[in-house]
Amino acid sequence: MHLLLFTIYNSIKALGWHGAFELLRDGIVLGALYSLVALGYTLVYGILKLLNFAHGDVFMVGAFIGFGVLSVLGGPLNAVLSTVPLIIVMFAVSMLGSGALGLVIERFAYRPLRNAPRIAPLISALGVVFFLESSVQLLTNSTHSEYLNYPVYFALIKPAFTVNIAGTVEPINVIAILVVGTAIGLMLALMYLVNRTRLGKAMRATAFDREAASMMGIDTDRVIAATFFIGSALAGAAGVMYGLFNSDTYYLVGFAFGLKAFTAAVVGGIGSIEGAMLGGVLVGLVENFAGGYAGGQWKDIAVFGMLVVFLLVRPTGLLGSHAIQKV
Amino acid sequence: MFRRVAAFGVTGSAIAVLVAMTLSGTASARVAAAASTVSCKNPVTIGVAYPETGPAASIGTLQYNWAAQAATKWNSSHSVKIKLVKGDTQLGNGTSFAIAVAHAFASNGAMVAVTGPAGSQEMQDTSTIWHGAGLAPISGSETRVALTRSVSNPSTGPRETTPGYFFRTVPNDGQQAATAAAYIHSVLKKTKVEIIDDGEGYSTGLRDFLKVALKADHVTVTTNHITQTDTNFSTVIASIPAGTQLIYIPWQLSSQAENFYTQLHAAGKGSITVFGSDGTDDPSTFKGAGSYVTAFPYDPSNPVVKAFANHHGGNAETFGLPSYTATWVNATAIQAECAAHGNKITRAEVRSKIAKVQLSSAQGLLGFPIQFLAKNAGLFQGPGDLGGKAAYYIYKIQSNGSYKRVQ
Repeated sequence: MHLLLFTIYNSIKALGWHGAFELLRDGIVLGALYSLVALGYTLVYGILKLLNFAHGDVFMVGAFIGFGVLSVLGGPLNAVLSTVPLIIVMFAVSMLGSGALGLVIERFAYRPLRNAPRIAPLISALGVVFFLESSVQLLTNSTHSEYLNYPVYFALIKPAFTVNIAGTVEPINVIAILVVGTAIGLMLALMYLVNRTRLGKAMRATAFDREAASMMGIDTDRVIAATFFIGSALAGAAGVMYGLFNSDTYYLVGFAFGLKAFTAAVVGGIGSIEGAMLGGVLVGLVENFAGGYAGGQWKDIAVFGMLVVFLLVRPTGLLGSHAIQKV
Repeated sequence: MFRRVAAFGVTGSAIAVLVAMTLSGTASARVAAAASTVSCKNPVTIGVAYPETGPAASIGTLQYNWAAQAATKWNSSHSVKIKLVKGDTQLGNGTSFAIAVAHAFASNGAMVAVTGPAGSQEMQDTSTIWHGAGLAPISGSETRVALTRSVSNPSTGPRETTPGYFFRTVPNDGQQAATAAAYIHSVLKKTKVEIIDDGEGYSTGLRDFLKVALKADHVTVTTNHITQTDTNFSTVIASIPAGTQLIYIPWQLSSQAENFYTQLHAAGKGSITVFGSDGTDDPSTFKGAGSYVTAFPYDPSNPVVKAFANHHGGNAETFGLPSYTATWVNATAIQAECAAHGNKITRAEVRSKIAKVQLSSAQGLLGFPIQFLAKNAGLFQGPGDLGGKAAYYIYKIQSNGSYKRVQ
């Protein structure tokens, strides 16, 4: 413990304000990605009280769909589309594809088990995880898919502007603005959908009491399917941005990333959209600062340690509400 | 309730018996394979354990290409023929695949020799399997010092393989660290270096040796860590200490090296030189201009090397070249034992012959004669290491991604 504290103290001194800014900048970007994936967990849990562990691998598939579009339309020698239309098409195709995958998973892996004991859909989710990972592994020969050969990547890593932090010029790249801006936009769109539309009202009613909602004429099967579609589409968008931000994607990224996004959903308050957003940013910052000040091997320890602490001290999360049970 | 307990007991016993039978069957298959006699009248089987798929597939392919080249050339000029059997170890995806390959090769009674595997951590986790099977793998890329020598500095630990059951046709990491440290200090004149390891045995071993070598040259050294599954390096990049002039990356995955280089430049820290170890020696993937890479030695003037390069678009695929040497050593041992034992050989005979094989410079392709040490030599070398003038090359990556040898 003394050695860890000593390491942290020395790192803070060594990295200075500009180092702290870099960790903050990159932590917010990472946190925005976690938020988008956490929203999917929170939406599904809110409606079905189900932890969809396959959600992380839907994110991974979304990243590969985006890469597929990039490799067909984006060069490297003859790009069919220029940067902006290409990115829009990547998002659109990935979100639709991931959404469709979410529908399929809900229909065949969860719906038949809706009235089964809680453990059954959980096991089914794990089966979906291994199925998706193994399928992508087979299709990609376990190799990494790299964005470095494509012109769009180099357009995105250029600085949009710079800031001077304690005498050091720090770039804010186009990709960072794209990730954070898109994440915020999608989250606001989701909040509007949930709070201001008929579908959103139906989703809230189904989350509150599925049986009563059904009796009131709401097609709960369609609402649940729509929830899965929306959550998976958000994961697909996150996947595209993950690949562009890291210049790489790989069949194993989904599970680890999904676990951290799940942590974000729990920390923020599972079932709360605002909580998922806040939790995501918090997880991103904790991961980055722990890795930066204590060392790369402490990143995961810090994130999952935070999960344990929250479950012990505040299991409803930062913005989650206590459930009231009628006795 | 009694019936339920009894049912559990019967089921559990049946499962236990099944597992025991399977394990004993597997073990007895290996024992039988280890003792079996192979005829030299048919092509003799050599296993090639390499990453055919997985994150290191790009360099695994180079290894197999060269091993296959050795087999083709050997068969065209020798009476005893060899054939290769592949085993995909998926280096970079953990060692479970390498363990499965080791078991499969061990149980293959027709197999008397092995080229590979590729990663030092794979040999760490499979050495007891090879020993039990009586096979002595010859690796064209495993460089961890502790595989052939017990170490006392920088860390302490016993030798991780049994003498006579592991050989390598590459210099080890003690030599690699010494070469890199001398170049970083004397030629590049760097005084502040960060070493970022990837957590695997190869990487942490090389890190430790390089740290000692650099500190002996009064270079300031800091360290950090990633894992082989990391794709986002923003944290380690942000935590690079101010004033760092060079980052040494003893990694096995060239795709990670290229990714790191790109993210480093995107973060505005492109003035820091990147120096990769032999695991990143992959011109098709790691193209970071201005970076350096240590690489295995070879003889570019050798006609076999030239012919191979011509056949592969001018690329000699030198990371894989020591696998040619390893396969040739195996074949030489097999041929000698076939002649000595009336065309019937065992693993034990081939294994003991490997230790005594000597190849000329022209045969080995590495630029120096090949022979294995029988005992410890110098600070880093042990039985199974190459003797003689084995040394590492250093390449600088040019702006067009090509590699230019600078030492």
